[in-house]
Amino acid sequence: MGGSGSRLSKELLAEYQGSTLTGSLPSARAHRRFCELLPQEHRSVEESLQARVSLEQILSLPELKANPFKERICKVFSTSPSRDSLSFEDFLDLLSVFSDTATPDIKSHYAFRIFDFDDDGTLNREDLSQLVNCLTGESEDTRLSASEMKQLIDNILEESDIDRDGTINLSEFQHVISRSPDFASSFKIVL
Amino acid sequence: MQTSADAALQEQPEPGASRELPWPMLARRAHRQRLARDRVAQGAGSAGAQWTRLIRRSKEKVREGLRSLQPWAWTLKRIGGQFGAGTESYFSLLRFLLLLNVLASVLTACMILLPTWLEGTPPGPPAPNASSPCGSYNPGSHGLVTFATELFNLLSGEGFLEWSPLFYGFYPPRPHLAITYLCAAFAIGLLYLLLILHRSVSGLKQTLLAESEALTRYSHRVFSAWDFGLSGEVHVRLRQRLILYELQVELEEARVRRRAAVRTLGQQARLWSVRLLLNLVVLALLGAAFYGIYWATGATVDLQDKPLIQRTPVLKLVVDYLPSIFISVVNFVLPPVFKLIAPLEGYTRSRQIVFILLRTVSLRLVSLLVLLFSLWNEITCGGDAEDERCKTCDYNYKELPCWETRMGQEMYKLLLFDLLTGLAVILLYQFPRKLLCGLCPGVLGRFARTQEFQVPDEVLGLIYAQTVVWVGSFFCPLLPLLNTVKFLLLFYLKKITLFSTCSPASRTFRASTVNFFFPLVLLLGLAISAVPVLYSIFLIPPSKLCGPFRGQSSIWVVIPASIRELPQTAQNVLFFLGTQAFAVPLLLISSILMAYTVALANSYGRLISELKRQIQTEAQNKVFLAQRAVALSSADRTL
Repeated sequence: MGGSGSRLSKELLAEYQGSTLTGSLPSARAHRRFCELLPQEHRSVEESLQARVSLEQILSLPELKANPFKERICKVFSTSPSRDSLSFEDFLDLLSVFSDTATPDIKSHYAFRIFDFDDDGTLNREDLSQLVNCLTGESEDTRLSASEMKQLIDNILEESDIDRDGTINLSEFQHVISRSPDFASSFKIVL
Repeated sequence: MQTSADAALQEQPEPGASRELPWPMLARRAHRQRLARDRVAQGAGSAGAQWTRLIRRSKEKVREGLRSLQPWAWTLKRIGGQFGAGTESYFSLLRFLLLLNVLASVLTACMILLPTWLEGTPPGPPAPNASSPCGSYNPGSHGLVTFATELFNLLSGEGFLEWSPLFYGFYPPRPHLAITYLCAAFAIGLLYLLLILHRSVSGLKQTLLAESEALTRYSHRVFSAWDFGLSGEVHVRLRQRLILYELQVELEEARVRRRAAVRTLGQQARLWSVRLLLNLVVLALLGAAFYGIYWATGATVDLQDKPLIQRTPVLKLVVDYLPSIFISVVNFVLPPVFKLIAPLEGYTRSRQIVFILLRTVSLRLVSLLVLLFSLWNEITCGGDAEDERCKTCDYNYKELPCWETRMGQEMYKLLLFDLLTGLAVILLYQFPRKLLCGLCPGVLGRFARTQEFQVPDEVLGLIYAQTVVWVGSFFCPLLPLLNTVKFLLLFYLKKITLFSTCSPASRTFRASTVNFFFPLVLLLGLAISAVPVLYSIFLIPPSKLCGPFRGQSSIWVVIPASIRELPQTAQNVLFFLGTQAFAVPLLLISSILMAYTVALANSYGRLISELKRQIQTEAQNKVFLAQRAVALSSADRTL
């Protein structure tokens, strides 16, 4: 709990409520958590809105620390040119997409970008393989064998790749996700 | 390379809520400053959305609350993640059996113990000098007994335990107690049947969904598998292991199904002849085992008369215990053979486990039946009513003045022996193997370190223990209570042993399949245990010197006798239920209902295959339309 007592003004809160999906109360809470990551002297309101926090500090948040997708999440939401730091608005974006109130469309769009490990706009075999490795654990004895991985990726492509080009693009991904009933409830982070 | 955000900024912004656009905040603010928004419409929309969100969250909370009522839920989840779904299903079955035993103990306390003390303290054991045409019965300790004798009495149910609420003989011959005693037995049996069927059926629903090929969605499993709200290393690792096991099971079963689908007619014929041959081998082995046990029982009697045997005490001991030794050897040798045979039949691993379990259960329950048969032999003089020992009192009154207590004592001994054997195996085999051989180098060390939890063997132990309790609980009413304590001890013992000595499973099987089949095998045990109990109730005359049914011609007659005391209309109705005029139409109606249900199931099956075919056609339509769209758009571009 930061001791600086800086609070967001009402106008800023209203503006954030308009721009994000989380509403005003979570925005205040998010601002407090964000300020805790900044060094003591930069915790005033004006500075916190302009400051950027490095990736390592965001990754130290307990909600993200153990998440296998933490680096991808931070990279996707970062708006800096070198994609290695987050501003407060990026942070609020992150929380807004992962909140209860985000629509499945938004969630599936960002999920696609998170799963796209090489950032080329489609999910190819290497992306899917890395995704499965994140899901099962990175160490040697928790990976699927090569034949099992091939069988799994073949099955996924057969189900999702409608135009048969060997990769899954955004619309195919959103089409598959739209039929999954528990995607919205699993794509959720609560601070 | 353009990022999607840059591309979006250059496109024409669409009207609508700007916060639902997947742009970073800067872009969204700019967009909002350019468009005007209808606050009122937004407010109404968000109120409706809030309401549905509230309902969804409260439903989830209720489901979470119900799931948290079950004890050890977190332990089971941890076990499932670390050791696989098979081990978790063993502990889940153990928890279910605990519930059954607790309910049975409660019913026993209400229907047997309470009425006993309600009408005054029950009398003590009969005087030692009392005699009757059927001999005398004097249980209880005689004079001063040593500590060793007391301990022996505790372990075998004799001495001070024989005339105690633990056994049938203690209960006084009061008519109301007799009725509630018998009704308690039937009520508890019905409760067991209903609960086991309920558990089995819910497992069936999950199995049908999970094993159906058309519904497997690998993309769902992979894309929505991760719960982003998980925090903490332990939870994350657990979830990762669960996902790994699920994927492995799905892929393995899909491989088996694909292999089955592409088999030619010749290969199928070969596979089915292999299966038939293996089943014949199994039946031959089981038959040989049964005959061997029967032979050993007979040979014991013959060998005991030989003078050579009688002279050497060691040989005498061996001959006395020959049937038990034979049974133990058979139970040790045959199950590994069954485990070797199972993979050759070409089923999925979940099915293999079920077959292994069925075969080993038949083997184990036969030893119980042999014991019961030898007891029956002793009680009814081999079924020969004219035998001089059984002529006066219709049962062997000299050796067994109170045969029901004796039956209860045998089951009590089996329960204790089972617990002690389990403890001995854990303390003398599993822990030393892990501790000592873990330090050994090479092959021995690796063998010790890869100790895995043997699910079929452990589940077999549970089913055997519960069957013993079912047979014995009519003659030893407090047996379910003792079994509750035993299973509680067993849960914690097995859990500690699991986490200390076993390594995670290399392969696992589908939980829903075993959750459907394990209760069914339990039903087999229930059916087998019903036979001796019903036989004793209907056909063997009760002891004349002990128990609530003394002096009756059979245990069952108290029911018709008490019905005769009811008002005339009630009597007529109840006696009508036992006549043929009621039974035959009931049978006919049941058969008609069953035939109708089978026909309904068939037509639903045909509907399902029709729908599956339609799904495939739709998938092909999708592919065709996508290709047409691509072709048209490339044609447009060239124009």
